[in-house]
Amino acid sequence: MENPIWGNGLFKKKNKEDDIFTTLKKVPIFSDLTPKELTEVEKIVHRRRYKKNETIIRAGDPGLGMYIIVKGSVEIVEEDEKAGKRTLAKLSDGSFFGDMALLDEDPRSASAIALVDSDILGFFRPDFLDLIYRKPKLGIKILLALARVIGERLRHTNELLAKIQEKKD
Amino acid sequence: MLYSQILKIFWRVFLIILAIAFMVFAFPYIKDVLIMFIIAWLLSVLLNPLVNFLEHKGLGRGWAILIVMVLIFIIVGFSFSLLIPRIIRSAGSIISKLQSDVITDFSLMIENFFEKNFNNAELGRNVTAKLNEIGIKLLESLGEFFKSVGSLLASIIIIPFITFFLIKDARRFKRAIISQVPNRYFELSLNILHKVENQVGKYIQGQATDALIIGILSILGLFIINLAFHGPVPYFVLIGMFAGLANLIPYLGPVFGAVPALIIAILNNPPNLGLVLLWIVIVFILVQAIDNAFVSPMVVSKSVNMHPLTVVVVVIIGGNIAGAMGMLFAVPFTGILKVASSQVIWGIKNYELRHPSRVGENLSKKNK
Repeated sequence: MENPIWGNGLFKKKNKEDDIFTTLKKVPIFSDLTPKELTEVEKIVHRRRYKKNETIIRAGDPGLGMYIIVKGSVEIVEEDEKAGKRTLAKLSDGSFFGDMALLDEDPRSASAIALVDSDILGFFRPDFLDLIYRKPKLGIKILLALARVIGERLRHTNELLAKIQEKKD
Repeated sequence: MLYSQILKIFWRVFLIILAIAFMVFAFPYIKDVLIMFIIAWLLSVLLNPLVNFLEHKGLGRGWAILIVMVLIFIIVGFSFSLLIPRIIRSAGSIISKLQSDVITDFSLMIENFFEKNFNNAELGRNVTAKLNEIGIKLLESLGEFFKSVGSLLASIIIIPFITFFLIKDARRFKRAIISQVPNRYFELSLNILHKVENQVGKYIQGQATDALIIGILSILGLFIINLAFHGPVPYFVLIGMFAGLANLIPYLGPVFGAVPALIIAILNNPPNLGLVLLWIVIVFILVQAIDNAFVSPMVVSKSVNMHPLTVVVVVIIGGNIAGAMGMLFAVPFTGILKVASSQVIWGIKNYELRHPSRVGENLSKKNK
């Protein structure tokens, strides 16, 4: 990211070929966006670098937004005082997690830890809400895609639940 | 390991102390710029919703800012070229009037009043002396405030310039600052920053709207009195504006707002003075009633309700630090601090800072 204090903000060239842009394009909730709309999203994401074993989100903290892995690997873990640590998923380039936090501030249900040095994008609720107000058309597109992702997950959960019930019967 | 950590902490503390020392040293040189920045920041907080609204309506952000900036230029240019010289002139003539013979009549009146009712002329003299002193100080500092902001012409150009970039690049500045925060405190800082920005913005916008409405209502009320009684309250626009600003101080503000109108009416000494004074009091009570019943509940956020005692203490401290301007802005400043600190406390309570890297530690143990 260009330094806004010393960089020339008025006449800068846009380099659309960089990896942030291509990573965002791959994420399902941004897949419907035009290149111009993607640039708007690009303006409000935060780029972070995490070292191996560094915690990205901690279970119990207030949810603030979602993370997208540009490069690296992240483990989603659930910690229970009795059962200990349980790995829920291992994610790699282009995957995202924490997307429910775009909707509300409920505490994080699991922790996310970098398995290797990782390059990660953060997309956060306050910026998202601001974007929805400023660019309603773009906001609706992202919201619909987000609803689709969460709906799909719900359908999947329902199927699993049905299977378990069948087994019980 | 431990040694390097201690060294790291030492360097951090050293740098912070160095930065504070530098700021203290540089303060006299950057004071004017700082004031301009604060004014520009306040303007950007007030104008940002307007820019967002225009953007919401489909305008590009650049165009939205441009339109709002042209509006500012018109308003700032208008107020600096027309209003402020007038304000300074009328403030000057009020001061000279206060210092002229008329004031002695007024003082005698008050002294007589105290002698008659309390049998204590000394007390009356003290009261008038104090009143006189406060009035002159207040008006002088008002004039000085406008003069001290660099040269006026420079401010007219520089303040909108800073405001423009504060609105345009606020998000980028914020991202640049937050990108320097260590990962461990990243979400916490970002969340607190957003909440503080949101709450402080709402607070400032609410206060400004409230002051504006009270100012307009006071001007309107005094204008009607002037129409009805053949102009017993000159400078009513200035007095109304002052009443609007004074309204920033809860409980005391309305009194501060009404006193100048009463004094000027007395100085002007119209034929039916008693009736005029009564109407002025009624106007200010009415304005207060409207404010408390309709305006305040709608525009001022409830989270900043302050105990009357807090208000009095803060106003006195503000007065000691920066005179009349300090008194005026003490409560809003405290309000901003209160809102901001409540958000910081929320963040510290809700984020698990006591076991900063519990999960990571367990994992690294397992990996070993």
